[in-house]
Amino acid sequence: MTRPRTPSARLRTGVPALVVVALLAVILAKGDYRANFFSGGGFALGALVAAIALGVVVTYRGSGVVNLAGAAVAMYAAYVYADLRAHGDLFLPPLPNPLAPIEGLVHLAGDDSFAVPHWPTSVSFGTAMGFWPALVLALVFCALFGLVLHVAVFRPLRHAPVLAKVVASVGVLLFLQAVVVRRFSTTTQVVGPLPFVDKTQVDLGLFKITQEQLFVVCLVLVLAVALWALFGRSRFGLAVRAAAENEKGATVLGFSADRLAAATWVLSTVVTGLLGIFVASVNSAVDPNTMPALIVPAVTAALVGGFTSFGWTTLAAFGLGMQVSLVTFLGANESWFPKAGGLPVPGVDLLVPLVVIVAVLALRGQSLPTRGVLGPGRLPFSPSARPWALRYGGPGLAVVALIPGVFFLSPAMRDGLTNTLTGIVICLSIVVLTGFIGQISLAQTSFAGLSAYTVASLSTHHGWPFPLPILAGAAVAVVAGVLVALPALRVRGVHLAIATLAFAVAVDKVVFANSWINGGFDGATVTTPDLLRSQDTATHEFLGVTIGDGTQPNPLTLVFCLVVVVALGYLVANLRRSLTGRQMLAIRSNERAAAAAGVNVAAVKVLAFGVSAFIAGVGGAVIAYRTGNVTPDKFLYDKSLMFFAFAYLGGIASVTGAVTGGLLVGGGLGFTVLNQVFGLPDEFVLLLGGLGLVVTAVLNPEGVAGKARTDLLALRRRLRPPAPADPPTSTDSATMADSSTPAEPLIPADTATPTTGPTPTVPSAAPTPNAAPTPNAAPTPVASGSAAGSHVSGSAGATPAVAGEAR
Amino acid sequence: MTELLRTEAMSVVYGGLHAVNGLDLRVDEGRLVGLIGPNGAGKTSFIDGISGFTRTQGAIHFRGRRVDREPAHRRARLGLGRTWQSLELFEDLTVRENLQVGAERQTVGGFLLDLVRPGRQRDQTDVDWALDVLGIAHLADRLPTEISHGQRKLVGAGRTLAARPALICMDEPAAGLDTTESEQFGRRLRRIVDAGVSILLVDHDMGLVMGVCDEVYVIEFGTRIAHGTPAQVVADEKVRAAYLGTKAAS
Repeated sequence: MTRPRTPSARLRTGVPALVVVALLAVILAKGDYRANFFSGGGFALGALVAAIALGVVVTYRGSGVVNLAGAAVAMYAAYVYADLRAHGDLFLPPLPNPLAPIEGLVHLAGDDSFAVPHWPTSVSFGTAMGFWPALVLALVFCALFGLVLHVAVFRPLRHAPVLAKVVASVGVLLFLQAVVVRRFSTTTQVVGPLPFVDKTQVDLGLFKITQEQLFVVCLVLVLAVALWALFGRSRFGLAVRAAAENEKGATVLGFSADRLAAATWVLSTVVTGLLGIFVASVNSAVDPNTMPALIVPAVTAALVGGFTSFGWTTLAAFGLGMQVSLVTFLGANESWFPKAGGLPVPGVDLLVPLVVIVAVLALRGQSLPTRGVLGPGRLPFSPSARPWALRYGGPGLAVVALIPGVFFLSPAMRDGLTNTLTGIVICLSIVVLTGFIGQISLAQTSFAGLSAYTVASLSTHHGWPFPLPILAGAAVAVVAGVLVALPALRVRGVHLAIATLAFAVAVDKVVFANSWINGGFDGATVTTPDLLRSQDTATHEFLGVTIGDGTQPNPLTLVFCLVVVVALGYLVANLRRSLTGRQMLAIRSNERAAAAAGVNVAAVKVLAFGVSAFIAGVGGAVIAYRTGNVTPDKFLYDKSLMFFAFAYLGGIASVTGAVTGGLLVGGGLGFTVLNQVFGLPDEFVLLLGGLGLVVTAVLNPEGVAGKARTDLLALRRRLRPPAPADPPTSTDSATMADSSTPAEPLIPADTATPTTGPTPTVPSAAPTPNAAPTPNAAPTPVASGSAAGSHVSGSAGATPAVAGEAR
Repeated sequence: MTELLRTEAMSVVYGGLHAVNGLDLRVDEGRLVGLIGPNGAGKTSFIDGISGFTRTQGAIHFRGRRVDREPAHRRARLGLGRTWQSLELFEDLTVRENLQVGAERQTVGGFLLDLVRPGRQRDQTDVDWALDVLGIAHLADRLPTEISHGQRKLVGAGRTLAARPALICMDEPAAGLDTTESEQFGRRLRRIVDAGVSILLVDHDMGLVMGVCDEVYVIEFGTRIAHGTPAQVVADEKVRAAYLGTKAAS
């Protein structure tokens, strides 16, 4: 593309290019730096990141989906291959068993030995398999998986809003991880070496690299060139580009847009899976967590390549992979490297993608979308709370949760209920940000965690008394939220999801894995008042009622969480009903129009991030106080993804949705019931969560609460007799001309002086036959109705009635 | 006559394309000014430029202030309203709420108070007035998705009107209306102007623009080719050429 460049465009490409060149010059000039940057391990990691990134670009070009599960596919393929090599087994994801409830009921009845036939967990191909058959089988599996993703998930979503696509890909990510954890637990799996290359060093002059690493790098480069040729030089590529513009474009070229998308999905899963397998072989190991997290550098690289250029994507991916070992070296050897508690700050290598993302987005982004740029698309409808719901909802919820929670529930159920309550808080923070203003944040538990660690530090080391650290923690979360909001001012939709995900992954390492902050081996303790501490087993007498049965968890912890949930629930419901809420929803549906209506889009976005982070921060503080110590695992990025998933499942646009989400959340009441009553193992939480997310995104984009609401409305519509005369529906020709006619005589030139007089123009001098002077309070319905009477016969009679009802 | 809006050598440049090229235009208080031109003449780019949705060169004066570096929302608050060709209503808000977003201004104190008492009585005068002027009060509690296209157009105009602007720039408001509807719409515009709001009407419906406007600017390829009363403009050779040319092409 040759387009004339303005000075600022030149600056936008020139400055980053200069920075990159300068950094490379420094690295090349120093021997140590060079050796660590151009290391075999760095190249291998770069190759894997590049393959994932290429897969991401391929699917984006083919179907417009930014596949956040791309890296998880690499991990999954490596597991399939490793299991085939080691045991000759092709493991299968858990499949739903229609007979299982029978077994559950019999077990409930007391006969634990009863078992119905179950699906196989794997297909055996004899003993350990050779390299080639295992590879081919694993790749066939990848191809099939790509096809399933297309047919079952992303084809139904092809016209869906960006949010639904992001949610679906997060669901796939969680599902793949959960299947692997279910089958192999979280421990590292050994992967055998590749047969045709080994670990002998090859000297390439500038640096040394092992044979197998060199092989992997060359393979990726070949793949990148092949993809470039396929997409840039073949009819297939032309058709994909045409289809991206317009489905008809591909049809004209004789291709089916649907088949093209399917082909790109298969292509991307195979490319990603292949490199997942090879890099796992080179590293001799695979685990369920390391590879999926590589989606962050991979998506960063794809972003550098504008989700189109294979060359830039590959280059950036290698750079992002190779900097890891350099940064580790710098941390160990350089005195200027940032230190925390005498040790180098961990996770600086994860800050690099974040910086790159923010830089790229800041340079390319627009503070308001240009003409034709779509926002996150339609989000679930966000109902304003009805007065009765506001009056009785909070107390109702409190009573329903409180009485059983304090007096009747078993300890395990009490724990589940408390998890639900803290889950509701996090979901509420997502409701504000995604449900109200349409910004996708995948970093909500990072805000919560920052707050939790603040609480730990202030309560234990600085002696702050009980409620104060909550406010301080929430304040820290707000600061972080506002920082994250800054890129959100210029980017939207999936790009924002990527930026927040990179932020979450970086915070995981830089803050939560930082022994100076997390308290190292002992963890960070929170000085909790005995009354609130979950482990407290004392019983208490209040007004002659005994609370507590001498077992953990302490019922008063539950009461504390409940108070917070009700307070925050009201806060969010009030926000929706307020002017700020209307402005947020206006921004959500159309940023340009909101700005034109005088809404300061940037300020309201920052405000929303602040409110959302505040809620998440209070949630983090509650979690800290509840358990009395803070461990990073509650706040890692995958927890953010999980909460996002459950908030979306519950219904992302309302308080009811957040409550539903809290019931579904891992460890919450829903799963405790399944676990306690039906004996469902814990690993199924994520599995069902991931699957549920995909299914919800595909079938029912409004979430559970949204679905219930639409069903209820439909039911009410069916039960209620049709309104006798509903102007817009009763008059088919209710075009602008018709509906405007009634009011025509309302604004006679001589009486209407709106800029000076604040009162609505009352048709005192109106030339309408029966427009008698009407009281100031409600001039509209009567006047317009009577005026309408003289003009439009069909809708006239109905107008005042409807307008009156509306008031 | 008091000057409301004046552009001086205003240009909108996309890459190397001058969508608007050094346009001088003036709207006085209480006037209904038309801006016409064939497709691609730069009409929407001009509106985007003065309302702050695209970067411009040259000067834009509004109510005696230079506003060409002000962000879009601040220009709206100064009284420079606009409507959209594609309406761009807030689909998730009721008609009344749509208008409220246009009419109400938030403060820090108001935000905090909102969290405690969101339902408190607010001044609805401007919203009710706009609903009245456009005759859509009976639709106030409906969602934009539940009403007809013509009514949606009125809601779009109402949202702008509820902010009590001094000037409304209307981007092709009559698109999709037949001749009778368009005539009625023209009378409605006249009433808005009589109520003290000036209008810059951008359209390519010659009948509408020539019928209601006090003065008309004609642009082609981003440049002004004629300016004057409707009668003067219709008589202009260049205008005839431009319009006949368009018709021949389409």
